[in-house]
Amino acid sequence: MPVYYLEFIVVALGLVMLMVDAFAKLEDKRSLARLGILGLGIVFLLLFTVEKPAATEGVLWKFYAAPDSLSLFFKGLAVLCTLLVLVMAVEYTPVVVEQTANPEPGAHSQAGLGEFFALPVFACAGLMWMASANHLVSIFVSLETVSITFYILVAYLRRNVGSLEAGVKYLILGALSTGFLVYGFAWLFGVTGSMELPAISEALAREGINATAALFAFALILIALGFKLGAAPFHLWIPDVYQGAPTPITAFLSVGSKAAGAVVALRLISPFLASSPLVGKVTAILVVLAILTLLVGNLAALPQRNIKRLLAYSSVGHSGFLLMAMASAPRESLANAMTPATVVAFYLGAYLLMTLLAFLVLSSLRAVTPGEDLDAYRGLSKRSPFLAFALVVSMASLAGIPLTAGFFGKLFAFKMAIDAGQWGLLVAGLIAAGAGFYYYLKIAVSMYFSAPAKGEETAIRVNPLTAAAMVVLMILIVAAGFAPGLIVRLLS
Amino acid sequence: MELTLNHFLLVSGLLFAIGLAGVLVRRNLLIIFMCLELMLAAANLTLVAFSRFHLVEGQPAYDAHVLLFFIITVAAAEVAVGLAIIVALFRTKETTDVTKVNTMKY
Repeated sequence: MPVYYLEFIVVALGLVMLMVDAFAKLEDKRSLARLGILGLGIVFLLLFTVEKPAATEGVLWKFYAAPDSLSLFFKGLAVLCTLLVLVMAVEYTPVVVEQTANPEPGAHSQAGLGEFFALPVFACAGLMWMASANHLVSIFVSLETVSITFYILVAYLRRNVGSLEAGVKYLILGALSTGFLVYGFAWLFGVTGSMELPAISEALAREGINATAALFAFALILIALGFKLGAAPFHLWIPDVYQGAPTPITAFLSVGSKAAGAVVALRLISPFLASSPLVGKVTAILVVLAILTLLVGNLAALPQRNIKRLLAYSSVGHSGFLLMAMASAPRESLANAMTPATVVAFYLGAYLLMTLLAFLVLSSLRAVTPGEDLDAYRGLSKRSPFLAFALVVSMASLAGIPLTAGFFGKLFAFKMAIDAGQWGLLVAGLIAAGAGFYYYLKIAVSMYFSAPAKGEETAIRVNPLTAAAMVVLMILIVAAGFAPGLIVRLLS
Repeated sequence: MELTLNHFLLVSGLLFAIGLAGVLVRRNLLIIFMCLELMLAAANLTLVAFSRFHLVEGQPAYDAHVLLFFIITVAAAEVAVGLAIIVALFRTKETTDVTKVNTMKY
């Protein structure tokens, strides 16, 4: 089927969920989430039936890139991520109901839960569209579809001050980054006289381009993308927003929003990197940004006591590795060398698996222990060996221990930096990875070698759907750690 | 005096700078939000100016105008969601001062 049908199907799925919520008088609204999970599962399978169009003439293809393996991979990531977020949201339902309940007599006991399941589906459609966006207008609109949905979701717990505060911070900084993005787009249009990425690429490569104005546009766009990716020094919102947002939404933000930032960055930065008058300065800026992000993210994570804040800084650190791959575009094309796009896509795939696994454990625990402090994880292996093991697998992969997906992600990023001769990046990356070992494994050690706190020795039960999702993620992490070629082949 | 592209770019640059300064300096959430809208208006003015002075076959490049309408629409959506969040925050905390929105700290 034509590739753009998929976005239509996802939007229709979201609308159907809203309509069922409005008119079907469901007793238990969690069945809406199950409907969403089922629908997204079908869309994921449909991704494999996409046909490559023979001709790409016509208005649509000005806005929408013809499907290539990279955009299909990102669409798959978006669907898989949303699906797992819905699994987490089912687990998280009691908290949402408690924080959004309608106190009026006669109101549905789960009033306001339906949108919590439907909105991620709309964000998913935006993410999928973004993977194919080929024109400044369509990049802008798809990015904003995702951002505005996220503003609502972050502030969703309307009786919880933390969630509202996170929502306001995300809103202000998100809108600020939108301002930078559109101003950057305006200048990019002014410099190149076009809105289509292929034409922009051509115009930037021309000698005699106004380099100052082009660099100004690049800086504005990079600031905006830095916000979305969580690159230092634009990462200041990340810890607060991650801590305050509902846990499933934190997971969605850390994977979905980062994937969105990365795919837009890949598409918007590559014309600048391909332009001979600009490439030197653009690379230098990217290298500085990558080094800062690697160091700030990983070193600031060391003293964290709240697990969501720790994962927030860790996500900043992982953005550093993504930027490292983007900054080290090969100087001359080596045979068999991976392109930055492949490395970024592989890294994001691995990051999705391990981060969502960690957040699945977190949201299962949130139902029994209210705290998110690291002390709540002491002796977890005695309360639930399964959850503890799942968290260890995820932490091992995040730290980059061999035979996990995360190891190859980091390895490919390091290899890119070596091939490009970026030694400063390499040193920063090594320091970052070393710090990562400490703070990820600290959690693992406290789960296995400490006794649980007094009065919290009860065993923890795991919902079967969640347990199944965790097992699948663990298998995928280890499989990608043994045979990274499986994922790399999807990308070529 | 004839108006050139540079005049428009100067005005829009000033607008953008005023908006950015407002976001960084002001403490009232509503004023910050107004300043964010000012930044978008600056981008719109830049787009129109570039499109007016970049003639394609004697006509302005209308691509930029299309982006402008999308920016206006998206900004409206953003304001709708944003004001709802600010109102919800005001109901729980009874303030719109950003320096008082600081329960989460490192």
